[in-house]
Amino acid sequence: MATYPHGNSRLRALAAGLSGSWRMSRSNFELWANLLVIVAAAGFMLWRGTGFAISLGTFVAIWAILAVSLNLLVGYTGLLSVGHVGFFGIGAYTMAILTSNPAYEQLRTEALPIFAWPFFAVLPICMAMAGLVAIAIGVVFNRFRDDIFVLVSFGFAVIAFNVFLNWEGLTRGAFGIHQIARPAIGPWVFDDEVEFLLLVVFFLGLVVLACWFIVTSSFGRVLAAIREDEEAIAVFGYRVVHYKLAIWVISAMMAGLAGGLFASYTTFIDPNSFILLESILLVSIVIMGGLSSIWGSILGAMAFVLLEEGMRFVPFLPTEFIGQARQVVLGLLLVLLMLFRPQGLVGRYKL
Amino acid sequence: MRLSSRKWVVPFGLLIILVMAVAACNGQGDKPFRIGVMESLTGPGETYGNVALQAKQMAVDEINEAGGIDGRMIELVVEDSKCSAQDAITAYNKLTDVDGIKIILGTSCSGAMLGAAPLAEKDGVILFSGLATNPDIAEAGDYIFRTSMSDAQLGVDTGNLLWADGVRKLVTITEATDYAEGVRRTTVAQFEKRGGEVVGAERYASDVTDFRTQLTKLFGENPDALHISAQAEFAGGTIVKQARELGYDGPIYSEIVAVGKTALDIAGDAATGMKAVVADISPDNARGQEVLTNFQERYGEITLAWYLGSAYDDVYIAAECLKETGDDQDADGFRDCMYEVTWSGAIGENYSFDEKGEVVGLTNVVVQVLPAAERTVDNQGYNVLGSAPSE
Repeated sequence: MATYPHGNSRLRALAAGLSGSWRMSRSNFELWANLLVIVAAAGFMLWRGTGFAISLGTFVAIWAILAVSLNLLVGYTGLLSVGHVGFFGIGAYTMAILTSNPAYEQLRTEALPIFAWPFFAVLPICMAMAGLVAIAIGVVFNRFRDDIFVLVSFGFAVIAFNVFLNWEGLTRGAFGIHQIARPAIGPWVFDDEVEFLLLVVFFLGLVVLACWFIVTSSFGRVLAAIREDEEAIAVFGYRVVHYKLAIWVISAMMAGLAGGLFASYTTFIDPNSFILLESILLVSIVIMGGLSSIWGSILGAMAFVLLEEGMRFVPFLPTEFIGQARQVVLGLLLVLLMLFRPQGLVGRYKL
Repeated sequence: MRLSSRKWVVPFGLLIILVMAVAACNGQGDKPFRIGVMESLTGPGETYGNVALQAKQMAVDEINEAGGIDGRMIELVVEDSKCSAQDAITAYNKLTDVDGIKIILGTSCSGAMLGAAPLAEKDGVILFSGLATNPDIAEAGDYIFRTSMSDAQLGVDTGNLLWADGVRKLVTITEATDYAEGVRRTTVAQFEKRGGEVVGAERYASDVTDFRTQLTKLFGENPDALHISAQAEFAGGTIVKQARELGYDGPIYSEIVAVGKTALDIAGDAATGMKAVVADISPDNARGQEVLTNFQERYGEITLAWYLGSAYDDVYIAAECLKETGDDQDADGFRDCMYEVTWSGAIGENYSFDEKGEVVGLTNVVVQVLPAAERTVDNQGYNVLGSAPSE
């Protein structure tokens, strides 16, 4: 799938991916330029409004968890998956169904069972549910490679969306679920936006640590080898299938975690949040940030959300075209970025 | 593929220029009333969102040209909330936090509305929609209002109409969206409550264009009537057409979407005689007709007449309450005014808001589609038969 022009040696490719850009003197200028953009944009948002910046920061952190976890598949293992949004949705719906305490029964004919469990009890279940589904479908998906893998993951995203939309007894279908619980430990409820941001950043930290641990371990080296040459590593006696399944499940569980956080933050979800397009955006974020770079995925999520939301401040758009113009400018910026930096913000490889 | 660092300077520079340009444009003149607008301007629901925005802009221009509110102009700050809770939340935070806005007109989609409503309720910010119809919004809180009628009302009216017309065995075909599904559920609930029986129900995803299999299955049940609940006019029109092509000659019932202009164009004469329960601007309502004429002049065509009227009225109601409070930061005063206000505008006369912020005093009407040859722009293709029957 991916081509790695100067990575004929697995080790070298791996080392480059792991070290990110921190140690590469030649790309220091780029790194600082990127950093400057992000800091300028973030500072600008903060200056214009703290609450807005905090809310954006929360979405950035949630998207960063998704991007980092997807990078494990796309960047480190070379499995281009566009089905990640499915696991994100499973996590979100698990959180929604198990924590919401609906007081709006008037319309329902198929009643949704009410659990009203606490957030912290449900969060591991979100991960577990995403993981279980990942195991179930991963056993099949493992048989596919490259282009075919993209297609089957596409299929998964479509199926997941349709399940969210049509399994009405469980998901309330198109109505969505609201009154999803915010995290609480005893009397201490994280309903303050800053507290929630800190919580999400904490989980992002855990995910980054886990990813860093995975990619620097011997397990991670096998993944890189799978990406470079699956047959070669199989010849050395590694059960490639097991490794691929393991990273698939780990990645899905992280997406489930992000889903749980997302549902709790928005307190309302409906199937529209988990359409295939979100998956494509996610892949764009990973590529834009840089393949095989944890830091790149975080940066990509930041850049993407900040660019899109930054468009809200472009002052010269006429009121009646404000929405469309925003999308066009965003698209244009993405095209420009890919034109000038096909390897992403801090990445070293292109797809 | 390694690239030289210099090439990166171009997009980087563009970004910086963008940020600087934005920062420079922070000046303010005399103090207008600032009202936020959140509509789904892109993505699913963009038809509704753009019509609503156009109607609101038209109302604001009218008010400003007439001298504003006691000499102060109204300024709209527009944000795209798409049709999603996530975008509604960021749009909401941008409006309230960055622009310091306390009164927001929007949103066009119920999903976006339900995403932003808990925040608005917590912060004490007005959220006032002309289009969101999800029944759950009734429970969203004290600061949440709407002039759009809940799907629940539409369903009750349709259920009663079916029963009154002598329908006892009903089949339904429904698009899998919150609006269409809401209409179906409330219709079926009322119909069954009256003693009717639903003998078949089919559902389709929004991108489907062939309904023959589903319709054939439904007609196999020998129903007295078919009820169509669609979100998109294209699908609504196609279902009517295909139902007649399959030889079904029983009555068809629907709601506003299936009698929209696009839907009727697609269905052609197949739609003749179809009945629909709709929120419509009455031909007797001079104010409503005037608004439609002005809208036609300004934008060239009218779509979703009732909804544009609703969005238009929202601005005038907001202006009325701003006149009373004299302060666009006083959301509590605005809220109290909203509970007191009685309004006559484009969508009806003497309507007001109940304790849940739901509009009362508006009614749905039953319309019947005319033969294709008799459809004109003026009659919108149907006869108004009168108010929906009650129990």
